[in-house]
Amino acid sequence: MLIGRVLVVGGGTAGWMAAAALAHKFAGTPLAITLVESAEIGTVGVGEATIPHIRHFNATLGIDEAEFLAATKGTYKLGIEFVDWGCKGDSYIHPFAEFGAPIDGVPFHHQWLASEGAGAFEEYSLPIQAARRGRFRRPDGDPYNYAYQFDAGLYARFLRGYSEARGVVRREGKVVDVALDGESGHVRAITLESGETLEADLFVDCSGFRGLLIEQALRAGYEEWTHWLPCDRAIALPCPNTGPLPPLTRATAQESGWIWRIPLQHRTGNGHVYSSGFTSDDAALGTLLAQLPAAPLAEPNRLRFVTGKRRRQWVGNTIAIGLASGFLEPLESTSIHLIQVAIGRLLDLFPTQAWDPLDAQEFNRLMALDYERVRDFLILHYHCQQRDDSKFWRHCRAMTVPDSLAHKLELFRERGVVVQYREGTFLEPSWLAVYLGQHVTPNHPDPRAGGAGVTGAMAAMRAEIAALAATMPSHEAALGMAA
Amino acid sequence: MIARIGIVGTGVAGWMAALALTRALPRTEVFIIATEGPDHSLGPFGPAEASLPDFPYWLADHGVDERELLHAAHGSFSLGTACSGWAGEVDWFLPFGTIGAPLATTAFHQLAARLRAIGQPVRLADFSLAAIAAASGRFVRPSEDPRSILSSYGYGLHLDRAGLAETLRAATGLRPLGSFRAFADDEVELQDGSRLTADLWLDCSGPAALLAGDSGWESWAEWLPCNRVVENWNPAEGIPPPYCHAGAFEAGWQRTVPLVGGQSGALFYSSAHLPEQPNAIPIVQGHRPRAWTGKVIALGAAAALVEPLHGWNLAFLQNALARLLALLPAAPSGPEPAEYNRLTAEEADRVRDFAILHYKTNGRAGEPLWDHARTAPVPETLQHKLDLYASRGRVPLYDGELFEAEDWIAVLDGQGIRPRRHDALADAIPEEALAQHFGRIRSLILDAVRAMPHHGATLRAEGLIA
Repeated sequence: MLIGRVLVVGGGTAGWMAAAALAHKFAGTPLAITLVESAEIGTVGVGEATIPHIRHFNATLGIDEAEFLAATKGTYKLGIEFVDWGCKGDSYIHPFAEFGAPIDGVPFHHQWLASEGAGAFEEYSLPIQAARRGRFRRPDGDPYNYAYQFDAGLYARFLRGYSEARGVVRREGKVVDVALDGESGHVRAITLESGETLEADLFVDCSGFRGLLIEQALRAGYEEWTHWLPCDRAIALPCPNTGPLPPLTRATAQESGWIWRIPLQHRTGNGHVYSSGFTSDDAALGTLLAQLPAAPLAEPNRLRFVTGKRRRQWVGNTIAIGLASGFLEPLESTSIHLIQVAIGRLLDLFPTQAWDPLDAQEFNRLMALDYERVRDFLILHYHCQQRDDSKFWRHCRAMTVPDSLAHKLELFRERGVVVQYREGTFLEPSWLAVYLGQHVTPNHPDPRAGGAGVTGAMAAMRAEIAALAATMPSHEAALGMAA
Repeated sequence: MIARIGIVGTGVAGWMAALALTRALPRTEVFIIATEGPDHSLGPFGPAEASLPDFPYWLADHGVDERELLHAAHGSFSLGTACSGWAGEVDWFLPFGTIGAPLATTAFHQLAARLRAIGQPVRLADFSLAAIAAASGRFVRPSEDPRSILSSYGYGLHLDRAGLAETLRAATGLRPLGSFRAFADDEVELQDGSRLTADLWLDCSGPAALLAGDSGWESWAEWLPCNRVVENWNPAEGIPPPYCHAGAFEAGWQRTVPLVGGQSGALFYSSAHLPEQPNAIPIVQGHRPRAWTGKVIALGAAAALVEPLHGWNLAFLQNALARLLALLPAAPSGPEPAEYNRLTAEEADRVRDFAILHYKTNGRAGEPLWDHARTAPVPETLQHKLDLYASRGRVPLYDGELFEAEDWIAVLDGQGIRPRRHDALADAIPEEALAQHFGRIRSLILDAVRAMPHHGATLRAEGLIA
């Protein structure tokens, strides 16, 4: 039987995404959904870049794309451009699509690696070619995908409207106390500053870094990954748009970290993610300001974080989602995605009145896989580079990586094999984009590669992609904005 | 660089390997060496093979005409496996196709659990087109139109081994270079005394593992008690049923693969529970964790031997060949063999779990073999699946799974395992809507099956029977 009451604690992106998904999924059931948030506590949501899975989330909720883009000042995103990562002066794009197509049954990248004079790898990606030209068109049966860049604060507000229209009750207030049940150890109730007590059967902790329930009350524990991902601070700073809006997020490597640039309809989000072990806060701000395309629109928003994840993200009757569950820097735009994954798993394993600890165990097992696989993918960006201009990059190159990543790297370096897995966000094309974009080149070609028709087939693919990219409208036109 | 690949074994496994390699590696020299005796290259499991639904695709990818093959191999079509005697008195069917359909986002078996909770009996196979068509002896190739209910299933093939091997051989255009006598120092000695070298050797010689025999075998006998097989062939007239049969009895089980003109049989039993039978072949179920050792790669039954409850031995080989081609070493002493072995073992372990599932969840009370199988511990990976299923009907899938969650659920449910809870959302659906949903699926299926030709008519239309 269905439990009766869910309380979502925290109203940022995670909280409202969770509330909206619950409201949609349990529409027509007696499940009572309440969200408590405090206007006094800011949310971390700085401009957010996403990966294509967000489209599925919105579509499931029945959200209209045009309405969503208008409400969140969103733009289209064909990939992430990584500047200066492999070497200074480099630029490569990680798209949401495969590269090329198999030739003679042999995966495309093997054929490309074995060919001389086949041009750049990115010439075999339609979304990259479109993005390089500032163009965008929604795929119409084409083999590529896209995501969005949008204002996460506006997205939360949009989902609040969605949720409240579907019966979610919003409560305003600061949580001052969490009461546990002596016998089960479950959270029984929270107390607000006003003295009011809110009880529930299930608590969703979306309270951000501090993990009000999951950590402060339930002591879930935290697994730190800072030895692999040394960045621990960020400064966010929006500025006005200048020039055309690229259908891309850009991540430019810096001496001790990297700077994001996320184009929205009304402004550009900027931020510097850096390691306090290698640079000072002032220097980091200076670096960001020096590269800002226009004068800042606000005061710098400073963030501190510890990369890692809660050892248990579901404890008793409390599930942590979003920053309360862990933190991975937004280098591959995975923050909202990990929220979405957690929500999906919660809905799959939604508790019943007969609580079974197996639900939590399975949730935790799967979320650990998700986090670890994204983590490995992020470490790849830092570890595989040839930058010799700072201590930070030398450190990242010399560090020991997790065995799971070392295994993947060994196989790719040997002969271009991309290790596959069932659970996990990034599939073969993503790994290929970063490997090849950062000069991780196999030592040996695939023995199947080559053959009479390969050169011609590749030239035809290249030409077709270039021609298609040229027919696409500009990104602004696709958004219906005046150029 | 691999310039020469030698295959030992001229059974189905050897010829499948030869076909895959010659097509994928036109610039590599591939040769094959004959072995003596019956073809046990995929296991001594009767004179016919039954495939899973991915085999027709493999054939198409490798230029083998399905009709010609069916003709040469007295073949017929398969919609799944009928299992009797495993759950006690209840029979069940593992179909090659979907069972039911979700309502909103709630899975079909969760809906079924809700109906059962309100006292309404449900048999999952009644909501599978493949299962109902099989039970009524009907078959037609599935539709490619995803909107048609006729796209809700796939099909496997029943093929006589000799005809399959011969068809594959013809497709390769190869002839054996000679007959195997011995293997030493990475060289094969032929019966005529000549010696052959290769950069890689594929051991397709079956459980004898003429090349790979020293590389270590991990036995699964503690979980899979059958250690003897008797192969048999029963000539029969009439139309073969479009499914395999696996019938459990006190000391093991009997496999039946129907062909045009007869039935291929294999009796699996535990020698501790049945007096020795004439012509019994001893087997040790298990796998070779280092299937690839040095220059030798064990394939087929030389690499893994698991009683073929659901025709996975062909699928094992298909996947092993694809993996081998993706991991052909570019240089000596690279990481490819270790990765090949890791992936191969992962897949074997998952199939092992699927096989053990049939024993662990059996309903044959009062028989020593089955009582023990029900109570003995199983591998942790399987126990985790069983625990989660028992808790709320979920089946977690790991890397390397050959079977999807729906297949696991069909077996678990068929065996009579009922989760303690079902998804809460199923409770939110009004009973009337549930009944309507089930009724609609059932009538769609019945209408479709009524309009389907009999298996015999399809076989006749394709010229496979007179």
